[in-house]
Amino acid sequence: MARKILIVDDSPISRKMLKSCLPKDDDPEIHEAGDGLAGLEKFKEIVPDITFLDLTMPVMDGVQALEEMKKHNPDAVIIVATADIQVKSIERVMGLGAFLVLKKPPTKESVGDALAKADEFLGKHHGN
Amino acid sequence: METELPSISEEEKDTLQEIMNIAFGKAAAELAEVINIFVVLSVPYIKVLKAEDLPEYLRYEVRDFSTISIVEQDFWGKFRGGAFLVFPADAGKALITMLDAEHETTFESGSMEILEKETLMEVGNILIGACVGKITELLGDVVTYSPPTVLVENKPHDILPERLFDPEYTAIVMKTVFRFDERNVSGFLFLVTTQDSMEWIKQSLAEFLEHYE
Repeated sequence: MARKILIVDDSPISRKMLKSCLPKDDDPEIHEAGDGLAGLEKFKEIVPDITFLDLTMPVMDGVQALEEMKKHNPDAVIIVATADIQVKSIERVMGLGAFLVLKKPPTKESVGDALAKADEFLGKHHGN
Repeated sequence: METELPSISEEEKDTLQEIMNIAFGKAAAELAEVINIFVVLSVPYIKVLKAEDLPEYLRYEVRDFSTISIVEQDFWGKFRGGAFLVFPADAGKALITMLDAEHETTFESGSMEILEKETLMEVGNILIGACVGKITELLGDVVTYSPPTVLVENKPHDILPERLFDPEYTAIVMKTVFRFDERNVSGFLFLVTTQDSMEWIKQSLAEFLEHYE
C-alpha cells in the first residue's frame, strides 16, 4: 500500500536507519525533517498518512511537536520512534495521542509491525 | 610531542551519537525501574580530542559547578576506556531520598557522607553499566568493569583523573546531559575511549550500518 510517510528526527543516521526498515515493495512517498518545528511545518504542508517522530530533538522536542500535530489533526497517526523507553515517557506520549511507541534501534520487523497496525487503523478509520 | 588526532568521519560521528542516544535511553529506563525517577534526556554530543586537551575540556564542561561529585568506572573489552558521571556536589543528598523514599531518617554527618557516596555509586553503577553495556551490545562486544569509585564534593580541578593526560587516552568523548526531573538535578556522562579502541569502533560502526543499507 502506497503511503505518504514523514520522518522527523534530528539524526540523519537515525532517519536513514528507519528508511531502510520500511518495506521495499510499498514504494512509500517519504518526507523528512530534522527537528520538531521543521517536522510540524512539513506535517501541516504534506498531510502524511503516517508520521515517525523522535522525542529528543533540538529547536522543538518531539513531545511538543506531537502536541501541536495532534492539535492540528487529532486523527493523525503518529508513531513515536525513540530511545527514551522510560515508562513515564511512553505513558506521556500515549496520553498525548501517539499511535504507538517504536523503540530504537528500529528493525524491519518492528517497523513492519507498526505499519501493519497503522494500516489496520487507517483502513477502519477511513471505512476501507 | 604533537599527538595525531584520530580521524572519524561525519557519518561515524552521527552513528556513534545515535548509539549513545539509544544506550543512554536504555540506561535511564533501567534507573527508572529501580527508583521513582524521570530522566530528561538530551541530544548526545561526540567529540574527538587530543589527550592533552581532555582535562581542560572536561573542566570547561563542568565550569558551572563550584564543586562536583564524580563516579568513575573503567571498562575493558575491544571497547576500552573510562566512564565519568559528573554531578553537582549536592546531587547525592537530593538523590538519597529517592532511593530510600519510605524511610524518613535523619543522618549524622558521618553516616550521611557514606550514604551519599553509596547513593551516587548505585546510580552511577546503573547508568554507566546500562549505557556502556548497550553500546557494546550494539557494536558486538562484551566488556568487564572495574568497581565504581566515587569522589564526593570536590573542586573539579582536584578530581579529574590525572591519567587522562596520558597520550594513550587520545579519545572519543561521548557526552550526554541529563536531568532528574523531580529533583532538578543535572549531570553529565562522559565516556572516554582509548585510541586503540578506535580501529575496532570504526569497524564495528561500519558493520552496524550494514544492517541498514
